[in-house]
Amino acid sequence: MKFGKYIKDKGLEIFWFLLSYFFILLMLLAFKVNGEVLLGISVVFVLLFFSLLLTGYLKRRNFYTSLIQNVKGLDKKYLVLEMLNKPNFYDGELFYEILYEINKSMNETIKQYEYSLNDFKEYVELWIHEIKLPIASLTLMEHNQKGKMVERYAEQVRRIDDYVDQILYFVRSENAEKDYLIKETNLQQVIKQVALKNKDDLLAHDIQFIVDVQDEVVLTDAKWLEFIINQIVSNSIKYVRSDVSSVIKFTVSKTKTQTSLHIYDNGIGIPLNDIHRVFEKTFTGENGRKRGKSTGMGLYIVKRLCEKLGHKITLSSVVNQYTEVVLTFALNDFYKMKD
Amino acid sequence: MKKILIIEDDKNMQIELVKLLSLAGYEALVLQDFSHSLEEIRKINPDLILLDIQIPEMNGELLLQSIRKESSVPVIMVTSRNNEMDEVLSISYGADDYIVKPYNPTILLLRIANIFKRMENPLNILTYDDIKVYPSKGILEKDGKILDLTKNEMIIFACLLHHRGNIVSRDELMTELWNNEEYINENALTVNISRLRAKLIEFGMEDAITTRKGQGYKLV
Repeated sequence: MKFGKYIKDKGLEIFWFLLSYFFILLMLLAFKVNGEVLLGISVVFVLLFFSLLLTGYLKRRNFYTSLIQNVKGLDKKYLVLEMLNKPNFYDGELFYEILYEINKSMNETIKQYEYSLNDFKEYVELWIHEIKLPIASLTLMEHNQKGKMVERYAEQVRRIDDYVDQILYFVRSENAEKDYLIKETNLQQVIKQVALKNKDDLLAHDIQFIVDVQDEVVLTDAKWLEFIINQIVSNSIKYVRSDVSSVIKFTVSKTKTQTSLHIYDNGIGIPLNDIHRVFEKTFTGENGRKRGKSTGMGLYIVKRLCEKLGHKITLSSVVNQYTEVVLTFALNDFYKMKD
Repeated sequence: MKKILIIEDDKNMQIELVKLLSLAGYEALVLQDFSHSLEEIRKINPDLILLDIQIPEMNGELLLQSIRKESSVPVIMVTSRNNEMDEVLSISYGADDYIVKPYNPTILLLRIANIFKRMENPLNILTYDDIKVYPSKGILEKDGKILDLTKNEMIIFACLLHHRGNIVSRDELMTELWNNEEYINENALTVNISRLRAKLIEFGMEDAITTRKGQGYKLV
């Protein structure tokens, strides 16, 4: 708050003061008051006025400076009222109370949204558990009817299951709550789950599945990681090249502070223009347009999950040669569960 | 015959699970009265329990805890709740395994078979007539004579031996191999089986493995 601007703002008051001082001067002169009394009255009058002006300024300056500084310094600016002392001047009090009311109504509105969002999220999770039941029944029926039902049915059921998982993990990745559990997880075990899940597709496309991963242990949530790797592998299956014998290969590289899992395929690759956008929401790119059936959500969810778990994910590719996704896990004792 | 108790409230799942387990040679029973689960479990006295987490009356995890107070019967938790927390909790309450719905039925059967194998045969030595089979060493032994098998051949042989007299489909063999992290393709499976056959013939076991066209293989 600047004093100059404040004085400018008080122009009207200063004008009235000068006017009244002028009339008082005229009156005193008309009564022929002697010069010394005149001077005395003038000094007292001017001093009084300026001290009024100054105290008004100082009170406001204290309040507004702390308000401005807090707004600047706060990450969540709407919390500024919590940091502020109630002002000791009337217009400030009014202003403070109005801010308080606005804040309250804002909080209530946000709470409402939060509740309805949480309700929705809970309902989606519940719905997913429900839909998993008929999917599980269908899987069993298909198995029990071997020979009568065609393998294509099972494939469609698997697709439904994959899409249901996508929405489950989308909801989980968008939510602020921590519903994951980080513990020591064997990479081989997780890769095995993904392999078994995609076994029929991999065999049908005659894709060589090579796992060059020894007993590697990383800190992660096993279920989330399984979803992440499953998305990457199903992309590799989706985008195989027909003129070579297809390969999906897992390898590991390590430094002192981190372990990286490399997932390599010799599929159609990703055009240079699209590479830096593959993790964007609903981005389908050239491959998605050509082959269709792409929602552009898979890798977006993967990226979000990695961010929440604290893993780094990078992707490199050359068209008609390869695509390689690298997942990097930090080796940090901090996350270890205590026994 | 091994008795398996299914604790699951979805009628469709009950029917299909009973079918699946009976076809695999188990006696499958379904828990009827959820308000007296413990009494019924005591009465049935099963060899293994498939327990859903979301069941009426009592949460599956709570039921597991009360089962564990009086019995060490193997329990496989089966649930559609796909999260790590529930799995860790269930295992800490004493579950032997945790499977997420929808599961691959072959894998469910594999896990069940594994639990029984571990219980009955902790050293994991099998016999085939007068032949001793050591899966971990990868050898068969007969009258001091030893036959070496590769890892894949041993997995196939042990799987056929476990289902001796029954037909094992190629898909089941494939699942068993992949479950042991041997990610081979259809051709390799065919090659492995004919190599195994040749080795068995050399070992004096003619026609041990028969082929059922379109169905699978059988160890006689």
